Amino acid sequence: MQIKEDKQNDVMVLTVTEHLDSATASVFESRLLGLVERGERRIVVDCGSLDYVNSAGLKVFLLAAKRLEPLGGKLVLCALAPSVLMIFEMIGFTRIMKITASREDALRMLRGDGAAA
Amino acid sequence: MHEGSITIRLPAEVREIERLNRLVRQFGELHEIPSRALYAVNLALDEVVTNVVLYGFETSAGQEVAVRVETTGDDLRSEVVDAGREFNPLNAPVPDLTVALEERALGGLGIHLARSLMDRVEYRRDGAKNVLTMRKRIR
Repeated sequence: MQIKEDKQNDVMVLTVTEHLDSATASVFESRLLGLVERGERRIVVDCGSLDYVNSAGLKVFLLAAKRLEPLGGKLVLCALAPSVLMIFEMIGFTRIMKITASREDALRMLRGDGAAA
Repeated sequence: MHEGSITIRLPAEVREIERLNRLVRQFGELHEIPSRALYAVNLALDEVVTNVVLYGFETSAGQEVAVRVETTGDDLRSEVVDAGREFNPLNAPVPDLTVALEERALGGLGIHLARSLMDRVEYRRDGAKNVLTMRKRIR
């Protein structure tokens, strides 16, 4: 797993690659929740190069979304591979999380949000 | 797809799961198992074995989990055997997937995924052992 951060105006884009599993989930958790603690409120996780995610990794997304919600923040996931999207559907995450087809769509969603606020 | 089987014995430690995943993927590629079925079996085994390693034993030192994967015609059959405390994943509570984000529980996702990914899951207690058998149709 590799994690990259890329701040675009007030949106933080986190790219996570390869395998998000029991061996790597804790590292990803401290990075993602660390962003929330540092005050980031609009976060995109680009999953375009994420091949594999298990429940340890899925929990991190759920935890981050739960933590951001009462703070008025937003988490958007984008570019999920079909196999990863299928897993998100299977555990009902597509009902409770914002998921977009591309990074551009995710950024647009969060910026549109900013304009309305 | 070629018929064949692999047996993997793992010390009951979380860091061994990565090795399990790697061996299952290698087995799948070697036997030309279609990628969707391989992905499902890989993930289901990951979840089931992780659960055993994390919660199955009073003390996991010296304990093992045995995993066997077999391709038989149109089926991918996998079996997980451990000598941990009796646990039937089929009796585990199913997480409520319909509630709002704030009410969603963090637990129970792995077992739910494993059950959803497989076409058939069977459990039996064999003496002091848990035996979980999972089947995935390939075609």
